[in-house]
Amino acid sequence: MNLMVRSWNRYWFTPESAERLALVRVVSYGLLLAIYLPLDDRGWTQVSAVFWMPISAFHMLPGPPRNAALIGSLQVLWKASLLTSAFGFFSRASMATAAALGFFLLGLPNCFGKIHHLDGFPVLLLMILALSPCADRRGWPVRLSQTLFLLIFFAAGYAKLRNSGLAWMTAGNMRSIWLGELFTHTPPTQLGSLLAQSTWASQLAAAGVIIIELSALPALFFRRVRVVTLPALLGLQILIALMLGVYFTPHLVGYALFLPWERYYKKLVPAPR
Amino acid sequence: MAMLPRRFASLAVAGFLAVTCFDMVTGLEHWPFGSYPMYSGLYGEQLDLPRLYGVRDGAELALRGDSDFAPFDEARLIMALERLQRARGGEQKLDEALRNLMGLYNRRNAPGGPIRALRLYNVHVTPRPGLQGLGARQERTLIAQVGP
Repeated sequence: MNLMVRSWNRYWFTPESAERLALVRVVSYGLLLAIYLPLDDRGWTQVSAVFWMPISAFHMLPGPPRNAALIGSLQVLWKASLLTSAFGFFSRASMATAAALGFFLLGLPNCFGKIHHLDGFPVLLLMILALSPCADRRGWPVRLSQTLFLLIFFAAGYAKLRNSGLAWMTAGNMRSIWLGELFTHTPPTQLGSLLAQSTWASQLAAAGVIIIELSALPALFFRRVRVVTLPALLGLQILIALMLGVYFTPHLVGYALFLPWERYYKKLVPAPR
Repeated sequence: MAMLPRRFASLAVAGFLAVTCFDMVTGLEHWPFGSYPMYSGLYGEQLDLPRLYGVRDGAELALRGDSDFAPFDEARLIMALERLQRARGGEQKLDEALRNLMGLYNRRNAPGGPIRALRLYNVHVTPRPGLQGLGARQERTLIAQVGP
């Protein structure tokens, strides 16, 4: 029992430098602000209630929001809270506001028929950061965020095997996904259509996707695996953007969690002699 | 390092991990957690997709969620229409949905003027490599329409 507790504590609560934790906060909030600056949810106030299919805590609302001015004000407040969180102004209040409004504004579009799985992780990250006081120098907030980020990919790989079994990894299925997406998205290249002509490319891609996604679980525990898995996952998402026109831009903040920001900072701002 | 904050942090970590694993194993969605089932199904060589066509000056024009029915994007709009079609009282719901979508389109002041009718078709397509999007062979079945 003691061994388990010690391992748990070592994994989650190993102290980290205050500098690294501060830089992770600055980068995370700054990146989220840059990514979501164009976000505008006011249009949803014009959509008929017949489309209202609430998810999660949105079931508590009586119906879709109807006040565009209120949504507009909340958006400004949310973006301002991301900025003040990045700079550490009124940090507790800023981070709590960023998490609460992020949940509402990023969740709202998902209540109109389909959950896009792009915005879930940023909301989880905002919630974790809001729960962890700035003075806390233990590494758990970053460790937990990294863990949840990698588990997203493992979950995606696992869902494919659970729902379709090994039949998912066939060239025919991969080709149908590539070609089918051309009817719902507008990819920037014709790479999907081009590669679909090759059975070998389709087969290789199908197996590759599953292997890369499932490798996210061991990557949690082994640094050597992580070094390979993270660039592979990023490459996979870049290919998805080019071939299918599905952009996982909000996930950039997840990749950024693994970068050694304190090293970059030291290079940029050398310590005084 | 005080014990109470560590217990609180342990509880938070355990809570996040528990919901994540629960959704992953059961395939349920408790947003912002989720089971990430996108593209996890088996796809056939033929597709059936609901698609919207506006009618202007007696001619039909294909419309897309992203550019014509903001704030919807195409993927969300298609899924929403499929869910409405399957829902109880689907016909009435689709009628109300199409009226709203026609309003959204016409409010945009699109070049060419407003559309007079909006039609929802089920489009049966057989995509072939090398063909981009709707260039593939297709057959259409009218599901619902609003306007004359």
